[in-house]
Amino acid sequence: MAEKYALTAAQNMHYQWIKSYKTQQVAGLSIAAAFKFDLDFEILKKCLMLEAERYGCLRLRFTKPDKNGEIQQYLAALDDEPEFADLSGGSMEDADRIMQSWAYITFDGDDIPMTEFKLVKLPDGFRGFFAHIDHRLIDSVGVAVMVGDVMQLYAYYAFGAEYPAELADFEKVLKSDLDKAANPRRLAKAKKLWDEDLDLNGEPLYSDIQGRSVLEEARKRHGDPDLRCADIERKQLFVAVKDYKLEAESARQVMDFCMQRQISPTNLLLLVLRTYLSMVNERQEDITVENFISRRSTTDEQTSGGSRTICFPCRTVILGDTTFLDAAKKIQNVQNRIYMNGGYDPELIRAEMKRRYNTPDDTTYVSCYLTYQPPLPLSGNPKLKQIPIRVKWFANGAATKKMYLTVSHLPDGQLNFSYHYQTVCLEEKDMEVLYYFMMRILFRGIEDPSRTLDEIMDMV
Amino acid sequence: MEERFKELAAQYCTIDAKDITNDMTFRDDLGFSSLDLMTFLGDLEDEFDTEFELGDDEQKLSNMRTVGDAIEFLKSYID
Repeated sequence: MAEKYALTAAQNMHYQWIKSYKTQQVAGLSIAAAFKFDLDFEILKKCLMLEAERYGCLRLRFTKPDKNGEIQQYLAALDDEPEFADLSGGSMEDADRIMQSWAYITFDGDDIPMTEFKLVKLPDGFRGFFAHIDHRLIDSVGVAVMVGDVMQLYAYYAFGAEYPAELADFEKVLKSDLDKAANPRRLAKAKKLWDEDLDLNGEPLYSDIQGRSVLEEARKRHGDPDLRCADIERKQLFVAVKDYKLEAESARQVMDFCMQRQISPTNLLLLVLRTYLSMVNERQEDITVENFISRRSTTDEQTSGGSRTICFPCRTVILGDTTFLDAAKKIQNVQNRIYMNGGYDPELIRAEMKRRYNTPDDTTYVSCYLTYQPPLPLSGNPKLKQIPIRVKWFANGAATKKMYLTVSHLPDGQLNFSYHYQTVCLEEKDMEVLYYFMMRILFRGIEDPSRTLDEIMDMV
Repeated sequence: MEERFKELAAQYCTIDAKDITNDMTFRDDLGFSSLDLMTFLGDLEDEFDTEFELGDDEQKLSNMRTVGDAIEFLKSYID
C-alpha cells in the first residue's frame, strides 16, 4: 500500500484556494507543446506513459478530506493512455479555443488521477501534446522540466539520441521537504520574522491598481472608515488574459541592468509594480505585492517535479525620496529574508494577521500577484533544436487573484508580460494602462537609478 | 566543518564537493541564484544548529561572494 503524506506548504496554498473558491478549476494548469515536423504519435504516446513513471509527481492522488477537511497525498499508477485529438482542420486560433476549453475542465473526485495527456495534431504542421494537471502536482518550472524530458525521450526513441539522465526521486524530495518544514527551530525562526514585520509596520494597507477608491468603497461597505483591507471577489472568477511583449533589445537592457547592479529580475519587477501602486494610491508608501517563488535550489529539487511554487507577501514601506536603486536593494533584502524562510506556510502569516487585526473574512491587503518565470529548458538534442516549436500555456479560467502578472522569456529574446485579470472588476484597458506605466517606470528607473521614486512618478 | 559545508553546497550545483574550492564564487562558479544562496544558508543553520542573525548581518549575507567568505561567516557563529 502506498505511503501517505501531508501536503507541503506550496500544495496547501492551492488546496486552500480550492476550498475557499469551492472549485478545483482554480488549480488547473495546462500547456500545449508542439513541434513542426512529422512527429510519430505512437512514439510520443510511449514517451508520455514513460514520463509518468519517471516523473513521480504526475502520479499523485489525494485522499478524501477527513473530518477536519485535511487531505493526504500518495503515489499511484497513471494507466490511462493519452487520447488523440486532430485539431488540424481549422485555424490555430480554432485549435487554441478548443484546447482552452479543455483547460477549464476540473478534476472532480477523491483518489483519482490528477494528470491528463492528449496527443494533438495542430494546424500548420504542428504535432505534440496537451497536458492538463492539477497545480498541486506540478508548477511551471516542473512543467518545463517535463516537456524537456519528454522530448529527450522522443529523441532517444526516434533519433537514437542518448537516453536522458534519470530525474530526481519525487518521493524522496517530498519527504525531505516535509521534514524540513516540521523542524521546530525553522518554524519558530520564520514565525519570528513575520511577527517582527507586523510589530514594526503594523497592519498592512491595501493598494489597488484602480486606485484608492477601491479601499474607500470597502470602508463604506464594512462601515469602518479605518479599514485597511478590501474585499475579495469569491464568485465571479472568470479571468481574461492580455499579453504584451517587450522587444528583445529593451529586454536585454533590463537584464543587463539586473546583472550589473546585482538585482534579480523578480525584485526589479516587484519594485516597478509597487511604484505603480504607490503612484495610483496617493503615493502610498506601505505597499504589499504577493510574489511567487519557485523553491528549486538543489539539483534534486530542480528535476523532482512537484509543486514548489509558493506565494509570500512582499511588503515594503519605502519613502518617495528613496532612489530607485536603494528601493530595489530594500526589496532585495526583504526577499532574501523570505527566501531563507521559504518553507514556511503563508497561511500562518494570514492567520496571524487575522488574529492581530481581526481582518474581516473574504478580504485582502493585496491586489497584485507577480511571478517571474525562467525560460523553458527544452531539449538540447540538435535534431529537435532546429525544429520550430510552439508552446502555449492556457489559463484555467478561474482567478483567485484580482490581477496576476506572469513575466517570462520568449525564445526570440522578448519578455512576455502576461496579465491575468478578473473581468468582473477589470478591463483590458486597465491592463494597457498598467503595462504602459510599468514600462515607463522601469525605463526611467534603469536609465538613471539615482532618481528617486518621487521623481520617477512625476516623470511618467 | 568545511567538508560538510562543501557537501551541502554540492547539492546545489553540478560540481563535486571535493572540487569546490574556497575562492569559488557562489554566483559565477557554482551558479547559485540569490534564492539558492539564501536557501543554502537555511540548510547551514539546520546542519550546524545555529541561527544567523538578520538585521545588520543582512547585507553581509547578501554580499557573500565566495565559498571562503561563507565558511568564515559560518565559523563566526559556531566557534
